[in-house]
Amino acid sequence: MMKQRLISVLVSGAAGLLVTTALMRSQTPATFETAVLPVIQKTCLPCHSDQLSSAGVNFQGFRTAASIQSNREQWDTVLRKLKTGEMPPAGVPKPSGLPGMVTFLESEFARLDANVKPDPGRITARHLTRVEYRNTIRDLLGVDFQTTLEFPVDDSGDGFDNLGDILSVSPLLAERYLAAAERITERALGLTKLPAIPLDASYADDDHYEEVVSFTGSAGAVHHVGPSFVEVTHRVEYDGNYVVVVGLTGQRPGEPKPVNMGLWMDGKLLYSLEIPAGKPQTVYFGPFEKREIKVFLPEGLHTFRLGFANDVDLQNVPVESRYNIRLNKFPQFIQFLGPEKPAEEVASRKKILICDLKTGPACTERILSTLAHRAFRRPVTKTEVASLMKIVNVAKKEGLNDERALQLAMQAILVSPDFLFRLERDPVGGQVHTISSVEMASRLSYFLWSSMPDDELLAVAEAGKLSNQKTLDEQVRRLMADPRSAALADNFAGQWLEIRNLDSMKPDPDKFPDWSAELRDDMRTETRMFFDYILRQNRPVVEFIDARYTFLNEPLARYYGVEGVKGPDFRKVELTDGRRGGVLSQASVLAVSSYPSRTSVVLRGKYILENILGSPPPPPPPNVPPLDEDAVGTSLSLRQQMEKHRENPACAVCHSKMDPLGFALENYDVIGKWRTMDGKFPVDSTGTLADGTKFEGPAEMRRVLTSKLPQFAECVAGKMMIYSLGRGLKQSDNRTLAQMTRNWEAKGFAFQDLIFEIVHSLPFQSRRGETQ
Amino acid sequence: MIVTKKKLDRRTFLRGVGVTIGLPVLDAMTPALVRAATKPPVRLMFFYLPNGIDMPNWNLDYQGKLGELPRILKPMEAHREDTLVLSNLTHNYGRALLDGAGDHGRCCASYLTGAHVKKTSTDIYVSGPQSMDQLIAGEIGQKTRLPSLEIGMEDPRQTGSCDSGYSCAYTNNLAWKSETQPMPPVLDPRLMFERLFGTSGDLSLAERLQQQRLRSSVLDFVRESTQKLTKELGTSDRRKLDEYLSAIRGIEQQMDRAAKDENPVDPGMGKPAGAPSDFGDHFKLLTDMVTIAFRSDLTRVGTFMITREGTSRAYREIGIADGHHPLTHHGGKVEQLAKVTQINEYHVKNFAAWVERLKQIPEGDGRLLDNLMLVYGASLNDGNRHIHDDLPTILVGQGGGTIKTGRRMVFRRETPFCNLHLSLMDRMGVQRESFGDSSGRLPGLDTV
Repeated sequence: MMKQRLISVLVSGAAGLLVTTALMRSQTPATFETAVLPVIQKTCLPCHSDQLSSAGVNFQGFRTAASIQSNREQWDTVLRKLKTGEMPPAGVPKPSGLPGMVTFLESEFARLDANVKPDPGRITARHLTRVEYRNTIRDLLGVDFQTTLEFPVDDSGDGFDNLGDILSVSPLLAERYLAAAERITERALGLTKLPAIPLDASYADDDHYEEVVSFTGSAGAVHHVGPSFVEVTHRVEYDGNYVVVVGLTGQRPGEPKPVNMGLWMDGKLLYSLEIPAGKPQTVYFGPFEKREIKVFLPEGLHTFRLGFANDVDLQNVPVESRYNIRLNKFPQFIQFLGPEKPAEEVASRKKILICDLKTGPACTERILSTLAHRAFRRPVTKTEVASLMKIVNVAKKEGLNDERALQLAMQAILVSPDFLFRLERDPVGGQVHTISSVEMASRLSYFLWSSMPDDELLAVAEAGKLSNQKTLDEQVRRLMADPRSAALADNFAGQWLEIRNLDSMKPDPDKFPDWSAELRDDMRTETRMFFDYILRQNRPVVEFIDARYTFLNEPLARYYGVEGVKGPDFRKVELTDGRRGGVLSQASVLAVSSYPSRTSVVLRGKYILENILGSPPPPPPPNVPPLDEDAVGTSLSLRQQMEKHRENPACAVCHSKMDPLGFALENYDVIGKWRTMDGKFPVDSTGTLADGTKFEGPAEMRRVLTSKLPQFAECVAGKMMIYSLGRGLKQSDNRTLAQMTRNWEAKGFAFQDLIFEIVHSLPFQSRRGETQ
Repeated sequence: MIVTKKKLDRRTFLRGVGVTIGLPVLDAMTPALVRAATKPPVRLMFFYLPNGIDMPNWNLDYQGKLGELPRILKPMEAHREDTLVLSNLTHNYGRALLDGAGDHGRCCASYLTGAHVKKTSTDIYVSGPQSMDQLIAGEIGQKTRLPSLEIGMEDPRQTGSCDSGYSCAYTNNLAWKSETQPMPPVLDPRLMFERLFGTSGDLSLAERLQQQRLRSSVLDFVRESTQKLTKELGTSDRRKLDEYLSAIRGIEQQMDRAAKDENPVDPGMGKPAGAPSDFGDHFKLLTDMVTIAFRSDLTRVGTFMITREGTSRAYREIGIADGHHPLTHHGGKVEQLAKVTQINEYHVKNFAAWVERLKQIPEGDGRLLDNLMLVYGASLNDGNRHIHDDLPTILVGQGGGTIKTGRRMVFRRETPFCNLHLSLMDRMGVQRESFGDSSGRLPGLDTV
């Protein structure tokens, strides 16, 4: 029934278009006076005038053909609003001249644009973001330096944190850069002075910290993530070997089976040990037994998980007795003791010391020029290497040994603007120019990897070959296939879909007891893997809106009510019912578009308009009567509330766009769990869009969004353009964006083609200079 | 599980990402200023609250001498002799003035800059040219190890839009060094510790001097390469590098002062492991370090963003699971408003506890507090309606005997908030004819 209605709407819409086109052809050429002015005077001016400039728009100055050129930005908005059907608003009759006006404006824009020299825009020099810095240090020196703990946040605008106009180096950040350079170079060369007395940090669970505290300094609490597992977030202060002491409480009666005890760090298994069962009728390790594990741990904040991987005995223990020490054995504390210098040389050190420092300054010079070349992502000059050697000499005069002297010069590389900043030279005169092949290498690597170019890319670039499109495309393909392109899922998708905000989500634990750090991480993993799959498999972009598959592990599958998924590993899962499909049904997206204690059709509707349809609603006008969303589920149903709110025409304009989309997602609660009741009212997930399209529930809404595929594609393309360039889009980019989307459509909207479109586009290839 | 009192106490230490046990023992420290026979300097810090205040529970219904205080300010009753309540200060530039929605973005950005900031999500600009704390830091900052301190308690929003067309830079920062350069706050007590007390630990004077010479050679390299680069770059790119260069210059001066200081500051506390998740623990750690910074004259001016505008932080600490900002748009609902009041009250309670600790600290012939000016307030009056006049503001401390506290002063309506800035700047030894939209100084701060 619903499907039929939908189809009929689509058909009648298409028929309308045909008729209009036929009419247009038979008419004399339209002019501004015949095609536009009548509509403005009759339909627009009553609200958008000197007296009543609704939404801050006034058409008085829009009454001449010349205004199209002088007020182009506003006219672009006008055309967009007409095309999406937002204007004229519901309640105002649609004038018959509307299609003619749209056609006229489109052709007029095209005519004007053909005469304007295309402007690639310019990207302001900026420092590496926290993510880029961390990845670049990883690829340059092989050290994982956790910038989120050390540097202030990169401010964002337009939804992304890599915009040159916003980023600046504050005194605080400069201080941190200096401190980071000291620390990183020490770690890379394995020169860090370890504390004379080992550090001792112990973590115990709620019921057992008394005994732990009594024998050592306590650092915090462990967190039970299951009856066989504990988890703790611990900051490792120095790279080095540590003794990890694990406490295992309790006994196992009957005939216990052997277990496999493991220690994981950040999801990776560090150590495992098969623990045999003891003799029947007893325990297989003594009560309050401790085991010691010796492992290398890298500096930084890490999540450690300790537990039994295959705990079959547990199945026989009733749930309420799982922490009963007479009936079960379970881990209950972790202690970290260390560091101790590892016997083996650190890997990064071996990579840096390509020759023997004792052979003389020529070796130091070779090391430094190799490092500077890679760190600056361009060829280095003799003078630059000489300046670095000057530092080495200062250090030696101060009595430092060869390694310490090298380290000091390495610090200089890491605080040099050539390393810290993304720089592009302007030729004298400030004209538009194609960027150099070497500059292109960094644009590519920071776009696709959020990191520096690797040796191959840099070599190709320095040979000037990136201006050859075939070579360029080969490199793009290679970079996309590399594991480092996972950065796009983390940083592009993480910001586009706002998944990064998951970390600060704190849903009401009383209302949403399912919420946990593990569930949150699983949600993030699902969306990351989903994005990564679409990228790597070059899937059609429409699958973001609706796909018959997703990525789940057992806990998330159980949460979604999907059967047949076993174990903690994520895998691709076919979806069989209409409940889930596409990002708008993923718990991560549903959670970041909710308040901590309730869902909001407004927030979710706004999310879809902003991130899927690329048509963000204007901010609410001042003095809007507040919406009583909180009464939802108690005194009035949500729909009754919203409809009351929409009786006010000032609210209706935007809410008629946002709310229906948000309503369709009402089947998901604050943390994305499927529901059919909200409080004591059944969920009503029907909606009618401004253009009359009706739908019920998320599956039908996805179908409606699918029908707006070009609009969604242009939205994604625009977001990715901002991200790839590191600047906001200007009016002059509209043409590029529209053209790019058309080319992409012609190729069938496969995801990787967008990346090629962007890389080939004028703004990515060239740059407008600036007078110096 | 049976919870004993002993257990509970320890729990507060054990929670979260490990706070080091042993908070600063203030009495055990050697204040660097004890030696100073001269008059102690005046210090200034702003404590910024987002999303307005529940005004009926903040406003006093009388003028003059402070007696009983309304619910939100109640925790300050014990310190009313040291408190000045200021009424009717307005920030006109927080208002739309044809720029439409975005009161949260605007009111935060204008609070200390006195500017009606550019509405943009990308090319940020405040026509200050700088915030008043940075103006002060620029003039007197070279006298202390750190020109200024920027502190915050909440991770800034990292994606999505912040407030109606205003870049997140406007709501993430309070201090602006230039039109385009915000000063990000330090959130992590550990980083703050390193900022104040350095990373190098116990070094002898000779070792410190050597370290400084080595660091200088690195900075020389940075300066040379930056200067060379700027010749090849366009103007807006050059500006970014200039910002870096000026930061480097500032660090060199700091290093100079620190290396020559023969009385290194004893922090009297261990380095914190990270930021506690409990608001009270976090606030206490940070403010205790502010105490040390003031007491040891490490800095004289600072800003403290309690949280940021538009925050959705929930206050589980006091049983509130809803986000702060959504709560402030309460639609007149009593239960929701009550939670806003509770949050407002909770903030003041933590602040008052710090003031209590500050009061105990002697300085010169009197108390440290006599020489402080702590401005505590919001840049919105009613957070629900986004009102920009009668901004809730209290001032604690006597500014070196130049402020008569213990009363409420009600100014003429629409008195520019920037007039307060001018009056505070005077007391910091920074004289200006005007600041932002100021119309003069606040009259009568020093006379009853």
